[in-house]
Amino acid sequence: MRIGLVLPEAPQYSETFFNLKIKGLKESGFDVILFTGNKNKKISDLEIRSAYPVKQGNIFSQVIMFVYVILQSFLFSPKRSFNLFRFEFKDGKNFNESIKSVYFNAHIISQDIDILHFGFTTMALRRENTAKSIGALMSVSLRGYDINIYPLKNPGCYKKVWENTDKVHSISEYLRSKAVRYGLSENTPYKKITPAVDPDKFPLAELRKNISSPRILTVGRLNWIKNYETAISAMKLLSDDGVNFEYTIVGDGPETERLKFAVYQYNLGDKIIFAGKKSHEEVKELMNKADIYLQPSFEEGFCVSVLEAQAVGLMCIVSDAEGLKENVIDGETGWVVPKRDFQTFKNKITEITDMSYVNRKKISDNARSRVVKDFKAEDQKKYFKEFFETMTKKP
Amino acid sequence: MKIAVYSGNIPSTTFIENLINNLSSTGIKILLFGKKFREVKYNENVEILDTPDSGPALLFFIVKESFKSLFRNPALYSKALSKIFSSDKGIKNNLKELGMILPIINNEPDIFHIQWGKTLQKNPYLFELLSCRFALSLRGAHINYSPLNDKALAESYKMYFPLIDGFHAVSEAISKEAQKYGADSKKIKVIYSGVSNEFQNTKAPIKSDNSEIIKIISIGRYHWKKGYHYALDAMKMLIKNGIEFKYTIVAQGEVPEEILFMLDDDAELKSRVELKSGIPHDMLMKELSGSDILILPSVEEGIANVVLESMALGIPVICTDCGGMNEAITDGVEGFIVRVREPQMLAEKITELSKMKDELKEKIIFNAQNKIKEKFSNENLKKGFEDFYVSILNR
Repeated sequence: MRIGLVLPEAPQYSETFFNLKIKGLKESGFDVILFTGNKNKKISDLEIRSAYPVKQGNIFSQVIMFVYVILQSFLFSPKRSFNLFRFEFKDGKNFNESIKSVYFNAHIISQDIDILHFGFTTMALRRENTAKSIGALMSVSLRGYDINIYPLKNPGCYKKVWENTDKVHSISEYLRSKAVRYGLSENTPYKKITPAVDPDKFPLAELRKNISSPRILTVGRLNWIKNYETAISAMKLLSDDGVNFEYTIVGDGPETERLKFAVYQYNLGDKIIFAGKKSHEEVKELMNKADIYLQPSFEEGFCVSVLEAQAVGLMCIVSDAEGLKENVIDGETGWVVPKRDFQTFKNKITEITDMSYVNRKKISDNARSRVVKDFKAEDQKKYFKEFFETMTKKP
Repeated sequence: MKIAVYSGNIPSTTFIENLINNLSSTGIKILLFGKKFREVKYNENVEILDTPDSGPALLFFIVKESFKSLFRNPALYSKALSKIFSSDKGIKNNLKELGMILPIINNEPDIFHIQWGKTLQKNPYLFELLSCRFALSLRGAHINYSPLNDKALAESYKMYFPLIDGFHAVSEAISKEAQKYGADSKKIKVIYSGVSNEFQNTKAPIKSDNSEIIKIISIGRYHWKKGYHYALDAMKMLIKNGIEFKYTIVAQGEVPEEILFMLDDDAELKSRVELKSGIPHDMLMKELSGSDILILPSVEEGIANVVLESMALGIPVICTDCGGMNEAITDGVEGFIVRVREPQMLAEKITELSKMKDELKEKIIFNAQNKIKEKFSNENLKKGFEDFYVSILNR
């Protein structure tokens, strides 16, 4: 069986999730071809097709390119090109837009595949009819950005995607139920397959005996949905109590100025460290040294970082964002507190620093063993194999 | 006295336009430089010397101004050329800069009044090419947080502040911030913004029916510093406490994802919040007069004009303690002040104010209106700037 995987770009070294997934699929005996947005370095033993450039170079070369690609598409894949054009036209697009769709999808429709899988739901936009026009099945993955953020400014954007999708993969129950709220049919088959963590890459860290001066950590892009302001306000309260702590924020992003200002305003510059973007190895290192991991997000699809922190055995305090509630078991593998409630975040930190080593160790071991048991890469491979093998055309 | 006002744009922001109109009404000659976006009507003391944006118009303008300059001061002209063309910003930008600088040197103002701190970094050669005095306005973000995350900007302040002959600070608070970058306190004069008479001469009726739904309003562009997400947190607390209200945000610009998310996440909240995009000035006044409370949930401000306008109109204000806000309001005297980033306090104050007896409310409104007359009138503003400029020329 040949699976076409559509991603924004070829996964880099660090994107474990996709690397595992692709590797897993190949090991399961699938033939995988990758469709990406822009030209990338070739990953070994993987076939990659890049989309034809849009608005690149001068107008003259753009026209030449366009005519060349369209002619080629209609010459070598006449039926599929015509199908796609027809479906797009039927969906209410005009002649120009429909032709453009053929250009936009030409790198995909020239390929023989059985299943076209979109690694992000947003990748299926403007490609809603692609699978249908080549007689392939269509499936999409629901991820945090796709469901929590993108539709806010683009309400109704997935209408056609939902209509044409034969099967849905979601990284959490929550994302799927929110997708249903946004118009996905209850009847569309779906499977929850969470991200996996390689426990060997994130070995259990030694717990410190005394954490009255805790080392606290959060890893993630500095954007609004991560809601670092709540964590920073909690640190202010902690500092007011005279607690000596160190809070490290790993990542960069659009809210850097906003967050640095909050730290400046609270006069916490010596206690809160913006570490910037770090490599996987460096993150591992930081997790090894930390005591408490915070995830104050507004919302999360699932959040791999929290999973990694649990693998390391850190004391995890997360917000009650729906995705995180599936990730951490409150009171067992970590703690779940109301989102944006910095007072409760702070209280929880104090509670943990006051906890005995034995009790902390219990939580730490629980977290580790659950990750090892329930979030195995082997299982993920198996689930994806099943996911694709049992796929059928939606009635 | 010839004052060059430079903000980059013609017309500029509301408060800079207010400054221009007030200054010119006192007989001070104003020269406006920058890019003109649309026609503006000023009195006869204002001269607009705008530079065309690009194309043949810009070239023609440069040729014309070059002749003038060569005739008046060839040495300075060649210095200007070498300064500008020695930078590596590209020929297009060099020409734009030349078009910007030539009319300024040709018109020889007595004082070059720069409205935004960031201009110093962008046009450092101004100091070498102009022999006049320099004034700089210290406003909001440019001083309060931009340099925190922009080392180069902070360095440019330290480098060029000593070359400034006089600083205009919009509040005592921002004067203190600027001193951290080397602004000489002896050269700083605090001049508050003036509230126009139309606000002062209109009085909103006092609402006394406590059983009614509280009408809460916030006005100001969408930006993280405005703290609307904290206001929404406070509104959620009001809902929880069973307080009936309606909250209107009047703001320019695209609604941020964060705000959309918070509303999408909570149907009850959504039903009580109305987002209105920027509305014309007179409508704004009507909107404001129809409200019971104005809240300013900001985390950062120079000094918020909308608060001053509400005070003049007789609308009770609850604002956060940021920037120069406590120079306009003492908690419980002319309005109410709560700590930044503490929605709980904001919710409590709203509740308190909504239950307040009419006499007390009237007293606060009375105090607020007096404060505006005393401290934030256009007369004070005019007098302040006249003295400011005279002191710079006598220095």
